[in-house]
Amino acid sequence: MASGDIRGFYRQKKKQQKGGITKSVSASKKKKPSKSGGGATLGATDPQTPALFAHSAFDLTDDYGEDEERLRQFDTDMRYGPCIGLTRLQRWERAFSMGLHPPADLRNLLSCASGPKSPDLECLWEGRV
Amino acid sequence: MKVDVEMGGGSPKLLERKQAVYRNLDEGYEIHGEKYKGQQYSHIYFTRLHYMRNLLYSLVPKWKPNLPVNTVLGLEEEKECIIAGTMYKHMKLKPSILDEYSKERSKVPLVKPHNFVHPDDHLILEDESGRVKLAGSLLDPSAFVTGIVVALHGKETSEGKFFVLDMLEAGLPPQIEQPPSSTEDKYVVFVSGLSIGSSTFNPLQFQLLVDHITGHLGDENEQTIASQIVHFIIAGNSVQILQGLLNGQTIAPRDQAALTEPIKELDILLNQLAAAMPVDIMPGPSDPANFSLPQQPLNRCLFPGASAYNTFISCTNPHQFELDDIRFLGTSGQNIDDLFKYSEAKNKLEFMERTLRWRHLVPTAPNTLGCYPFTDKDPFLIESCPHVYFVGNQDKFETTLLRGSDNQSVRLICIPKFCETGVAVMLNLRNLECHPLCFSTSLNV
Repeated sequence: MASGDIRGFYRQKKKQQKGGITKSVSASKKKKPSKSGGGATLGATDPQTPALFAHSAFDLTDDYGEDEERLRQFDTDMRYGPCIGLTRLQRWERAFSMGLHPPADLRNLLSCASGPKSPDLECLWEGRV
Repeated sequence: MKVDVEMGGGSPKLLERKQAVYRNLDEGYEIHGEKYKGQQYSHIYFTRLHYMRNLLYSLVPKWKPNLPVNTVLGLEEEKECIIAGTMYKHMKLKPSILDEYSKERSKVPLVKPHNFVHPDDHLILEDESGRVKLAGSLLDPSAFVTGIVVALHGKETSEGKFFVLDMLEAGLPPQIEQPPSSTEDKYVVFVSGLSIGSSTFNPLQFQLLVDHITGHLGDENEQTIASQIVHFIIAGNSVQILQGLLNGQTIAPRDQAALTEPIKELDILLNQLAAAMPVDIMPGPSDPANFSLPQQPLNRCLFPGASAYNTFISCTNPHQFELDDIRFLGTSGQNIDDLFKYSEAKNKLEFMERTLRWRHLVPTAPNTLGCYPFTDKDPFLIESCPHVYFVGNQDKFETTLLRGSDNQSVRLICIPKFCETGVAVMLNLRNLECHPLCFSTSLNV
């Protein structure tokens, strides 16, 4: 098939920006309950909603902040063992008692978890695997 | 606990039973407050590898000081180095649940052989970064099982396998020094495999044993020896419940009696024993306890008569305790029987020695032996070498004294099944010498 009309293939609509490209950094951090998951989702008319495509880089993160990112790094770090089947706090305690020196501030994050902005107490794969 | 002795014509002499200081060390095997959340077995292997690898790393400088230590993924071709990881044995005949679903008729027969060793088995070493097949003729796969942690010296070949030049096992753990031997003889009696309720159980034979130990039999010499028995250990398989009743259907009232009869009979016998001396009872594979290791103590409600005595102690399997500062460690046989199925040795004592050298009581758990999926510990690691290591429900009585490189000395005991052999084992705490106690009720000797 000839290359045809690429523009017609990917419908590109410059629709009204929900948050604006300049404001995309804070927009991505705000919790958007209407969005069902990140990236191209069911019901989205665009393959990539404008708020995600910011600064010519794909923002593949979901709505979570830097704390959650650090906790996910802790989850997938091989040094502390498998992460499925334990809460993050239990895994941190296990790593600590085995002398593996997990970062101490993660424990503070996990133990004073409360409110809507709190990080997830369960590991990255909980409920998904 | 006094025993009356009637001497011929004289006044009765009172013999008093000796006592020893008992300390129960089963806390690591008890499952308190553990809540199963659907976790898998990877955590046990992680904690096992972490603990054993740190241990091996501390031993490597004395073994081969000049070689680099790598992870499996860090191996470079033709470069000699040391790696440490968990061993996995790929076995051709090992039964796999997936064989039931395979469409083609496999070579593996459905009737399970007793021993799954095959000349084509090969070994693989694994750590959290990867696994590598082991090559070379130094390691004979039939002597190893999945689940042990070792350090290997060798190099990677062009095929991507690891050619093994030398192996380091952890070796016997350090032993607390044995207390200076006392002057008096104190005995511990071990028995296992009573199988009350089975067709091979002979009530007269066990009653003979109970009467002998409690001092109701024999002349003054025999009773003097009986009064020196300070502890009685039952190492598993005390009852055998008719398997036909346990098929998931409701049990008819007349069959309900058949279910409870063996336990009631055991309670009566334990009552007699507990009245005379401290008794430890461990669960075994056929007892009404949980299936996976560590087996939890038999419920005291099963023994309404015996549990009234404070000398009656229901223990876990494996069981660890101290008597007069001599450390005992033992199981009801599942660990050694599983090693027997998946590896080869010249006798059961050699399997026991291997578990001590690998510093792990049940290396095949959770691979082929059921085990609780702990998340933060592996309770079967042997951190301190026992003075007496016993295994129950074996075919015959065997014993030896194992000496370690660090002045350790362990008495290894294989306790035979009492229902088949009529043999109990008596151990002298003074010098850790062992001899069998044979009971026979047949008239033709």
